[in-house]
Amino acid sequence: MKGAVARLLLVMGLLAIISRAQVLRVDSGTPVTLAAGALLLCGLFAGKVAKGMGLPRLTGYLLVGVAVGPYVLGFIPGEGVKGLDLVKGLAVSLIALVAGTELRLGLIRRVGARVALLCAAVCGVTFIVCFAATVALKPLLPFLATLTLPQVLAVSALLSTVVVSFSPTVTIAIVQETSARGSFTEFLMALVIIGDLFVMVAFALAAGLTRATFGGGLDVAGLLSGVGWELFGSVAVGGLLAVAMLVYMRGVKQELPLFLVGLSFAAAEGGTRLHLSPLLVSLAAGALIANLDEREGERIHHAIQRAGLPVFALFFAAAGAGLKLDALVTVGPAALLLVVLRGGAIWFSCRRFAPADDPRLKSHLWMGLISQAGVTFGLAALVSRTFPSFGPQVEVLIVAMITAHELVGPVLTRRALTASGEVRTDEAPGTA
Amino acid sequence: MQALLVFLAIAALSLLASSPALDPVRFPALARLAAGGFLFLLFGVVLGPSVVGVLSEEDLYLLRPVMALGLGTAGVILGLNLEPRLLRLLPRPVYSAALAHAGTAFLFVTVPLFVPLLLTARPSLHAAVGAASLLGAAASLSSGHFAVLAYRSGRMDRARGLGVALLTMLDDAVGLVVLAVALLLGAAPTAGEGLGLVCLAVLLGILCGALLAFLTHALKDPAELATVTLGMVALVGGAAAYLRVSALLAGVACGATLALVGGRTTERVARALGRVERPVFLVLVFLVGCGVYTRDWAAWALVPGFVGLRFLGKVVGGTLAQRFARGVLELPPRVGYALIAQGGLALCLVAEYQLLVPGGLSRRVLDVVVVGAVVNELLAGQAFRQVTTPLARMKPVPPPDVGVAT
Repeated sequence: MKGAVARLLLVMGLLAIISRAQVLRVDSGTPVTLAAGALLLCGLFAGKVAKGMGLPRLTGYLLVGVAVGPYVLGFIPGEGVKGLDLVKGLAVSLIALVAGTELRLGLIRRVGARVALLCAAVCGVTFIVCFAATVALKPLLPFLATLTLPQVLAVSALLSTVVVSFSPTVTIAIVQETSARGSFTEFLMALVIIGDLFVMVAFALAAGLTRATFGGGLDVAGLLSGVGWELFGSVAVGGLLAVAMLVYMRGVKQELPLFLVGLSFAAAEGGTRLHLSPLLVSLAAGALIANLDEREGERIHHAIQRAGLPVFALFFAAAGAGLKLDALVTVGPAALLLVVLRGGAIWFSCRRFAPADDPRLKSHLWMGLISQAGVTFGLAALVSRTFPSFGPQVEVLIVAMITAHELVGPVLTRRALTASGEVRTDEAPGTA
Repeated sequence: MQALLVFLAIAALSLLASSPALDPVRFPALARLAAGGFLFLLFGVVLGPSVVGVLSEEDLYLLRPVMALGLGTAGVILGLNLEPRLLRLLPRPVYSAALAHAGTAFLFVTVPLFVPLLLTARPSLHAAVGAASLLGAAASLSSGHFAVLAYRSGRMDRARGLGVALLTMLDDAVGLVVLAVALLLGAAPTAGEGLGLVCLAVLLGILCGALLAFLTHALKDPAELATVTLGMVALVGGAAAYLRVSALLAGVACGATLALVGGRTTERVARALGRVERPVFLVLVFLVGCGVYTRDWAAWALVPGFVGLRFLGKVVGGTLAQRFARGVLELPPRVGYALIAQGGLALCLVAEYQLLVPGGLSRRVLDVVVVGAVVNELLAGQAFRQVTTPLARMKPVPPPDVGVAT
């Protein structure tokens, strides 16, 4: 661990020199490539340090991102971190593709119904608790203070749907890091994925209602077609991608990692532009491949797993660098209260509604559901864009919550997997 | 930007996928251009702002981080090849031979083209000197991939093939020195400031190279090694782009420092970098192609002069090189004809120059060198036949499936 600390400090020293040298120049060029290199190197060694301290590597990636990012040491300019959005989209797609290859029909048949029921219960309870708390906090939240009662209810519902969301990326990354395998891990992964499908539908409905209360009219047909397009369109596009991948893998048989990166990139960017869910597109593609041709599914899994370390290190370090710490100061108390209530609601619903045949689900599952990352960020940004009158303030509140969840979530997820007894090894070579 | 990058990625991938369809027997020139990466250059020209316009000037500006990464990677790979220890072992006549063939081509192009550059663009005197020097530097560079392919396929004696490859490796150093001089003259208001910027790039590269050697020293896991290598390459290219100094020179300094102090790690780093060399190079040449302004008629007028004078310079320089290296380095007869292929470094030089010395003159230099490089690549195949022996020529020629980046 001492070696990793020394290496991390040396890299940070070099970054300090570079940022000092920049002050001497009148003009500066693009900082995006610098941000990518710096976060990759810092992330890797911070991950090793975190592992040495008994924490998940992910926590190291996030914390070092925060440290070298624009809000603390300022070695990496905000413009550089913003330029890495492209990498974030790519990482989410790759992670979802790997997760998809785990979704075999057998697994869905075995745990699908039970997961869906528990997911509905967890999401429902968490939504109700957060909704009630937001309405009660109206005097303390400036963006609710001037609204009418129907508007307050609609905005609270919108905020609560976003607050409910989970983080498939963090869960999958921790599962890969710990090489966890077993029924508990399968249940957890299926739950966070299905949970996000629930959130997508609920978010579209809540956004439609909010628009109606602000005078935009309630367009039920448009609402349903929008939700339908996002869900079924994503699956259909994912199916097309799966066919393209299978044709490539069987026909060309070379440069597979490069091809997968290109295609995941296309899924991320194309999906966003077509108002589809990039996560669902890649998930569907991975699941289809794994179920149509198991051998090719394994090939994809291994190809991406080999590229997993740089992708995860860069993705989470960039997420850390992008955390708006100043948001914590302005809406900190309200965000902290919602974080505690959300955690409590998830804990309660898991204790109360988790299947009784596996006691581990009742006692440890809640810890794996605390993380929030990419999906929540995306929905918060969407609220900000769609409702410019109050959206930016809602986004600040949600980002403050994500900051807290990103710091404690990975630690709790790893603890859940360890407590379940399904962690095979502490360190798989080349994993996140 | 993002949608365009998608397009770029898909285009690159589709080309990769379709490469087996390029039958070298039916389309030898096309297959040769594809193997050298020049097909991507042409795609870039076609899709760039001055032809179809799929990518606009603004998109190209936004894609500068990718360009910085490409130039940094090319620099580090080049630096790793310029092993200081190996260079110290070479006898002096080898350097004289390399300098003769590179220097002759440099002078043959720089001196005659200085006047038309000065008259058509009307720049300041030292800007014109810088631009003409860069044209000369691009002309002095050669690619050894024909010689490597020839000795691998038995069409050329191994020692001779390696002799040609060594000469082409050494002329890279000439090209880089001229780039440094051109940047010194053009990248800052005063030559002193320009010198400071060149020194800053080299210092940055040395620091990064030494740190890379230390960081990778005890790493055993290949995934971690690849991550650190990629991270440092991005850091050196990115830091240079951020500080607005040469990413290529910083990369070369980084690679050379690693080669000097890295010990056994150097080979592992080179192997890790080798896996990304080809895709990064292809994207880089695509972007260089996008930067070509096809409606600059003065540039088109300069192309025949550039290609013709370079050809002459290489033939004469090759004869001189043969004379200097006699008894020390085995070279094929008429070695100048083996040095016609220009390679990717020439593209890197002019792309870097255009990034750091923006303006009409650097753009013209880029246009001339890009078009010239494609023509030279097409001429090189025919010219190389003059070097191989008649007996060997009768042996079947394998498809040019080896991609050589620089």
